[in-house]
Amino acid sequence: MYRKFLPFFFFVSSVLMLFTGCSARNPAGGTAGSITDSPGASSEGGAGIFAESSADSGEPDTVLGDSRQVLRIVSGSENQELEPVLETFCRQEDVQIEMTYLGSLDIMRLLGEDEISYDAVWPASSLWMNVGDTRHRIKHAQSISVTPVVFGIRQSLAESLGFVDREVSVNDLLSAIRNGSLRFCMTSATQSNSGASAYIGFLYALLGNPEVITLEDLQDETLQTEIRELLSGVDRSSGSSDWLKDMFLEGDYDAMVNYECLIIQANEELEARGDETLYTVYPYDGLSLADSPLGYVDNGDDGQEELFLSLQEYLLSDEAQNAIQRTGRRSVYTGVSEENLDVFRTDWGLQPDRVLSVIRMPDTDVLFECLNLYQTDFKKPSLNVYCLDYSGSMYGEGNEQLVAAMEQLLIQENARQNFLQASDNEVNILILFNGGVISSYSAVGSGSELEALYHVVESQEAGGGTDMYAAASYGLEMLQEYDLSQYTPAIILLTDGMSGGSFEEFEAAYQELGSEVPVFSIMFGDADESQLQELAEYTNARVFDGRENLTEAFRSVKGYN
Amino acid sequence: MKTKLIGLAILLAVIAAAAVYAGVSQSRAATELNGYVGGEKTGLLDDEEVQKILQNRYHLSIDYAKAGSIEMITADFQGRDFLFPSNQTALELYEQQYGEPVRSEIILNTPIVLYTRSAVAQALLDEGIVSEQDGVYYADMALLTECIETGRAWADIGLPQLYGNVAVSTTDPTKSNSGNMFAGLLANTLCEGVADEASLPEILPRLTDIFQKLGYMESSSADLFDQFLKTGIGAKPIIAGYESQLLEFAAQNPDTWEQVKDDIVLLYPSPTVWSSHVYIALDETGSAGIDALLDEEIQRLAWERHGFRTGLYDTPSDPEQFGVPGLAAEITRVSPMPDADTMAAIIQALS
Repeated sequence: MYRKFLPFFFFVSSVLMLFTGCSARNPAGGTAGSITDSPGASSEGGAGIFAESSADSGEPDTVLGDSRQVLRIVSGSENQELEPVLETFCRQEDVQIEMTYLGSLDIMRLLGEDEISYDAVWPASSLWMNVGDTRHRIKHAQSISVTPVVFGIRQSLAESLGFVDREVSVNDLLSAIRNGSLRFCMTSATQSNSGASAYIGFLYALLGNPEVITLEDLQDETLQTEIRELLSGVDRSSGSSDWLKDMFLEGDYDAMVNYECLIIQANEELEARGDETLYTVYPYDGLSLADSPLGYVDNGDDGQEELFLSLQEYLLSDEAQNAIQRTGRRSVYTGVSEENLDVFRTDWGLQPDRVLSVIRMPDTDVLFECLNLYQTDFKKPSLNVYCLDYSGSMYGEGNEQLVAAMEQLLIQENARQNFLQASDNEVNILILFNGGVISSYSAVGSGSELEALYHVVESQEAGGGTDMYAAASYGLEMLQEYDLSQYTPAIILLTDGMSGGSFEEFEAAYQELGSEVPVFSIMFGDADESQLQELAEYTNARVFDGRENLTEAFRSVKGYN
Repeated sequence: MKTKLIGLAILLAVIAAAAVYAGVSQSRAATELNGYVGGEKTGLLDDEEVQKILQNRYHLSIDYAKAGSIEMITADFQGRDFLFPSNQTALELYEQQYGEPVRSEIILNTPIVLYTRSAVAQALLDEGIVSEQDGVYYADMALLTECIETGRAWADIGLPQLYGNVAVSTTDPTKSNSGNMFAGLLANTLCEGVADEASLPEILPRLTDIFQKLGYMESSSADLFDQFLKTGIGAKPIIAGYESQLLEFAAQNPDTWEQVKDDIVLLYPSPTVWSSHVYIALDETGSAGIDALLDEEIQRLAWERHGFRTGLYDTPSDPEQFGVPGLAAEITRVSPMPDADTMAAIIQALS
């Protein structure tokens, strides 16, 4: 009963404030008025939007509206495309929505934590919400829209592979991948729903389509060899679906596994700039659906619950559903309405009327074993070059943060807790630098060789000038010694970003390597982003803030490489 | 100037109303009951009419956390006043672990049913697995179970647009009641009677096999039903659920129901089992909830707006009010659930 009157009291207090001109703390307990990103810019693609990746304790990625009534939502990145719809609600109802984007599996992990500092969760699929919500803190979950996970393949390539206008099986796709005629991008199966769904689909196909995958199946050596071989065809990976789409649009790739709605969005942009569009393939024996559930996190605040319910009601209204369909999503119950069929273009291979018959997700213990094997064994081994800044500006706090960060990564017992553990064939290279390269080390696998590197990190003292370009260029040189097709390589700078040296020097080394290796940065100390952002944009990567949530930064970097 | 005056008038009205409300609420402070509730009953407890009656007549309000019927018995319910599972097995399991509760009572009843889409229903009719009698569709459990056990593909029964083998999606029988009761029903079907400890050795491996093939199962009946309705024929061709779920949906969402009713088909398993929603009071505070929920008007609302049959053998007066085709006036083909020990052994085997 009491909860019904809360909005009423908000109203009283806001009318009072109107007259007295005083400002009050938001009674709902949110942080008011911290706008970090202009909503208009947010609908555009590009890695920049994600530059300050936030996590459960950090700042939101996007703030919509400006009000004392604040709803904090942690959401799959694919919902970034729905920001204009959310903004309409913010305007109409005088609400501020703070969006934080994470992969759906990361949202699942967050649900297991003691405190959830969000009012609502919005992962891609209810599977991850229901598996994660072991303490029953989610209420009022409702599916907002539906979209299948599909393959988007360059039109001409799809034609030459014979995938146009016919039913395609996962095995058809696998044989194209095996014989080298199809390379693709997908999100990390241990972070994002679309990647996990596709991966499970691959396992079914390789096992000859059993009714369900069992633990014994996963021990099968033929399967293990085949899935490794298959995942070696992954060109680039990412931790979330929308970012994968952005990365795809920035780079030069043949295909991606992603949501139908994001294939549509990608095609709209490709067509607008006169590039070849993607043809949509629905593997009939490997389909899965994202049902986009929006659920309320019950922290016992009735006012927030009312606010949440009004948002949910709005999103399910005819007006909002129409706008949501225009972004390439299907409405629940009814699919795609006549007037929005033009969004689902048949010349792009879209099938709005298709019966979306899905594969069965394995039971949770099998599912988690699948994910564990993906991370530690099946996926293409990482080749990580960590460039560690030991310049004078890092002395003190910055250096402490850096050392603590590497401890989380190199000491495998720590790493395992966050799905960051190294795989058996993974290569890790450390380059310690200040005004020039101080020293470099490498370790293969996940054993003592890797852990020993922590001693190096710990004992080096900080001092001297900074030239991160020299370090990155040196890293590129070291990469020339490897067959990069067998690894997913990445350079990761751990630095405060204030560097001498020249970008041109780096550019020259990058051209010489002739391979699209992303250069990620994780910022520490008194960080300055601008130079790092330049490197990230040039190499199609991202900048993370290691001071806010380091695990998240590492998880993201490892997901993307 | 004029707008300022209007603003002032609104303000005064608001303050007056606030004062009145504050006075009213003080004289009727409600006791808040807190408990675990199976997801299929949240609609009833969220119903404002129901809340009003609880408040005005009984000075109660009910706050709940959603949990599966079996799960809530094993969960930590420290600080909760009641448990509201969806079957008597849960009560028996509770009694085995904790002894007699402060008080318990059956509040609501609803039979286990199957939900499907018209294309699937037609295929099952053609196969003779489903038959129609007086406008009500009955699924022959023996034939349906045989179809599942022998691993027939959807394509084999004339549904090439569906991938994989014929299956009934259920909630996790080790956590949630509707799945648990469907497992009991399957156990009965497999032993051609009411399953007991003597028949278990024969049926458990077969039962385990059927459920193992389902892979991941939802842990809430409400979530499963929601996904059935929303994600279409391909995602969940047939599910097991409660009759009340569809009736509640049709009563609460008449416009949406109008859009989808032609495609949704209600099938009664023949035989079916009754789900009896029993309220378990954990303390004296909680026990007040029993009398309140048995209030005649709440019981009427429970049927008319949420689809629960409230007197086990009473025939509701107006099943037509829901506009749900194929709704049985009476539930006549019913078998008893296996006893609690047998169900415990089944849960154990499926864990």
